[in-house]
Amino acid sequence: MIADRHRHLLLWAAAALVMVALPLVFSSGASITMMSLMGFAIIFALSYNMLLGQTGMLSFGHAVYYGLGGFLTAHALNVIGSGKWPVPLPVLPLVGGLAGLSFAIIFGWVSTKRAGTAFAMISLGIGELVAACSLILRGFFGGEGGISTSRTSTLRLFGISFGPQIQVYYLIAAWCLLCMAAMYAFTRTPLGRMCNAVRENPERAEFIGYSTQMVRFIAFCASGFFAGVAGGLAAIHYEIVTSSIVGAVPSGYVLLMAYIGGVAFFIGPIIGAVLMTALQISLSDYTGAWSLYVGLMFVVVVMYAPWGLGGLLLMHQPLLAAGLLKRIGPAYARAAPPVVMLAAAVVLLVETAHHLLVKAVEGSAMRVFWVSYDAKSPLVWGLIVLLFGAGIWALRRVMPGVSDAYHAAAQEAQRLRSR
Amino acid sequence: MLELIIFSSLNGLLYGMLLFLLASGLTLIFSMMGVLNFAHASFYMLGAYFGFQISVYVGYWPGLVLAPLLVGVIGALVERYGLRRVHKHGHVAELLFTFGLAFIIEELVQMIWGRIPVDYRVPELLNFSAFTLFATTYPAFRMFMLLMSVAVFIGLLLLLTRTRVGLIIRAALAHPNMVGALGHNVPLVFMLVFGVGCGLAALAGVIAGPALVTQPAMAASLGPILFVVVVVGGLGSLQGAFVASLLIGMIQTFAVALNVSLADVLARFGFTVTRESMGGDLWMATVAQVAPIIPYLLLVLILIFRPKGLMGDRDT
Amino acid sequence: MSACALQLIDLHKSFGATPIIRGVNLDVHQGERHAIIGPNGAGKSTLFHLISGRFPVTTGQVKLNQEDVTGLAPYLINRRGLSRSFQVTNIFPRLTVFENIRCGVLWSLGYRYSFWHMIERAQDARERTEAILEQINLGSRRSVPAALLSYAEQRALEIGITIAGGAGVIMLDEPTAGMSRSETEHAVALIRKVSEGKTLVIVEHDMSVVFDLADRISVLVYGQVIATDTPAKIRANAAVQEAYLGSASAEAEHA
Repeated sequence: MIADRHRHLLLWAAAALVMVALPLVFSSGASITMMSLMGFAIIFALSYNMLLGQTGMLSFGHAVYYGLGGFLTAHALNVIGSGKWPVPLPVLPLVGGLAGLSFAIIFGWVSTKRAGTAFAMISLGIGELVAACSLILRGFFGGEGGISTSRTSTLRLFGISFGPQIQVYYLIAAWCLLCMAAMYAFTRTPLGRMCNAVRENPERAEFIGYSTQMVRFIAFCASGFFAGVAGGLAAIHYEIVTSSIVGAVPSGYVLLMAYIGGVAFFIGPIIGAVLMTALQISLSDYTGAWSLYVGLMFVVVVMYAPWGLGGLLLMHQPLLAAGLLKRIGPAYARAAPPVVMLAAAVVLLVETAHHLLVKAVEGSAMRVFWVSYDAKSPLVWGLIVLLFGAGIWALRRVMPGVSDAYHAAAQEAQRLRSR
Repeated sequence: MLELIIFSSLNGLLYGMLLFLLASGLTLIFSMMGVLNFAHASFYMLGAYFGFQISVYVGYWPGLVLAPLLVGVIGALVERYGLRRVHKHGHVAELLFTFGLAFIIEELVQMIWGRIPVDYRVPELLNFSAFTLFATTYPAFRMFMLLMSVAVFIGLLLLLTRTRVGLIIRAALAHPNMVGALGHNVPLVFMLVFGVGCGLAALAGVIAGPALVTQPAMAASLGPILFVVVVVGGLGSLQGAFVASLLIGMIQTFAVALNVSLADVLARFGFTVTRESMGGDLWMATVAQVAPIIPYLLLVLILIFRPKGLMGDRDT
Repeated sequence: MSACALQLIDLHKSFGATPIIRGVNLDVHQGERHAIIGPNGAGKSTLFHLISGRFPVTTGQVKLNQEDVTGLAPYLINRRGLSRSFQVTNIFPRLTVFENIRCGVLWSLGYRYSFWHMIERAQDARERTEAILEQINLGSRRSVPAALLSYAEQRALEIGITIAGGAGVIMLDEPTAGMSRSETEHAVALIRKVSEGKTLVIVEHDMSVVFDLADRISVLVYGQVIATDTPAKIRANAAVQEAYLGSASAEAEHA
């Protein structure tokens, strides 16, 4: 028991240390910007998982609370700036959080009257409602241009202006750590436990004294609060908020982030947020079809690894603890070539097709992975078909071996542990 | 005024029937398989695009038959090789699969046909005005759209009420598990239902394509309204979907025609409100501008007063 | 005569046009063990659903500790001191056994919708959960996800969740369904233990369990109670015999 508590504190301390040290390791402007983006993406994804992973509520409109938090923070910043109110910047994300909370109370009361698929569709509808309102309420949403703001216009403490990106990074990192801790603590409360119970068996939860609707409603409000904080940080980072922030795109994105990372574990959305942000920034430099890759990755995860990347990693933790990782080495290594073949086939197909269709004006010569070739060459298409066929055939043959190796090692680890 | 009412009624009916064409396929799939096909509007879009492509090579009319068939086959394959695999992970996973599918379809369509609308033309045969009323003409193609939708609706009705297949489908709508226990090849039925549902959506796309804009965003703009229709009508109820489709079709069409704002109404009573007044945006917005959010307002109202939908009785 | 813990007054329930419960009157005394038996399709589970708030009543009244609870939501009835188990095991599959029970104790300990208490610090919750785990003999399986338990263990967990909140009226719906002889014996011992000092209403098909446990038995046939009496008198009751034997002789004819 005591060892557990100490271990937890150590983990949090380590996380804090990592966040502080990261800019020292990756010190370029682009890196610091990317890490800032990861910071509030993590908060957003974790807030989303309070609904999906913890309480079993699938929402397609979570960006409403993120975006409205952002808008209210931007407006607050402008009011503070022009009125010269003595409010320091670090407090502003709280405004976003309170905005998210308020709207979550209003919309949540209506949304949580239904569950499951109906709830998902309602969240979609409310998302569209707010997005459509953004065209009508031009004063609040700023029309096409959005609302611009300046983060250097607030009260400066200790001479920190928050002009330079590195200062913004530390602000985001501090809030990220705070929110992570708060959301984790939430899972360790009676309500947090009942959220899990409602997710597992909403009917039974009613028969042990809990109103499922109330549990869901409170979880919804808490989730809206943290989404609003993330939105506030986004507003501070970008210094502009446009109506696309409440729309279907960020709503879809946070779902992808959380699910690919893994909704069953607290750390899953964190992994998803970091990964997706990194992909979004770096991939888009290399390929115009990066959105398609993300979609394909999502569908693959849904079909073959519904516990997400986080789940895949955590699955191997008992093996690591028992020192049995090398047992699975050979089987996994045998699975690597088919996976690589398939990945190569997909990339070739998407890139070549993309080039032919979208970049047709540039002619048919193109480059992928340091190799230049002609997109219309039948050799390429033959290669794609070959790689696909061979990859699928080989993967089919190898997968049972991988599964067996894992289960054998897992059982062994279980045995060693119960000794 | 009368002209406005007549034309709006026709357009409203048209829009409503189109919505029902889509909502009926969606409801059938949901009722039988328990999965809400998030990609339903995407298959509608595929139908429009396939129809367009076929019309470029061969003409509109072959497209009317071929596009729904093609999309229906694609839908059946998606069910057989995709959805079925996800089935064991539960309804949430199935919904997420169709969500991912919608995402991918939109990306592919953008990649293949580009982001700007394509020129899907009304076929020559129907490119005239059907009638003129008070100096406004009504396109024959719209009459065709209306007739087609009504024909499909009647066809569906007859299929469901007069044929053996229809009986099985209606049974499965009420008690999906029992139908399997009675010895019907449930996986095959699922594949067919999904395929036919997608085919219906594609048919709606081919019908609507030339009249409404055929562009990659058409799925994303129609999708949410479609889901509002099924939730308002009551998830799993065909009659509810019918009523909700017509209701929303009519309300939205009439709303778009009304270029009046609250400020105008207040002005009649002697109050002057401008954009600069408190809450100016709300007063100045005309009903036409507000029209896009009316379905969602209806959704919220239904949730407050009748959460199970107009005719719903099945809980999800 | 002791006060009535549970009273059913002219209870009717129809699904559409089909009447299932057709006028049930029942008084369950405080502290008694009351069994409800009857042929299949008599409406025993439906009766449970009506009492516990799962289904709305068509007409009639349900009184819990003299208070009218007809038509209240399940969680409101549970908070007033009635807890029920399910015929088809209704547990929280991916939560551990410990978690399953702990969720059952939370409301009664006053935690309600708290998100400001740390569950690990909640001594009372832990102690109560441990006590229940002891009673249902699942202490050694506390860290196992409930879905991985054996059938009999799951039924024990089902009972555990039901009694966790300390309700005064416990309703068990066919708790020994699908159990072997020895498992049933254990289950009966468990039920006897946990229902000490409480009011127990139990639906059962296993007659040995019924006659072993019950203070009084009610016989439900086609949605009506045809007899309520002590086990010995029920055994001798002609109408009850006909209801059971009648169906048995009909089966014999078709054989």
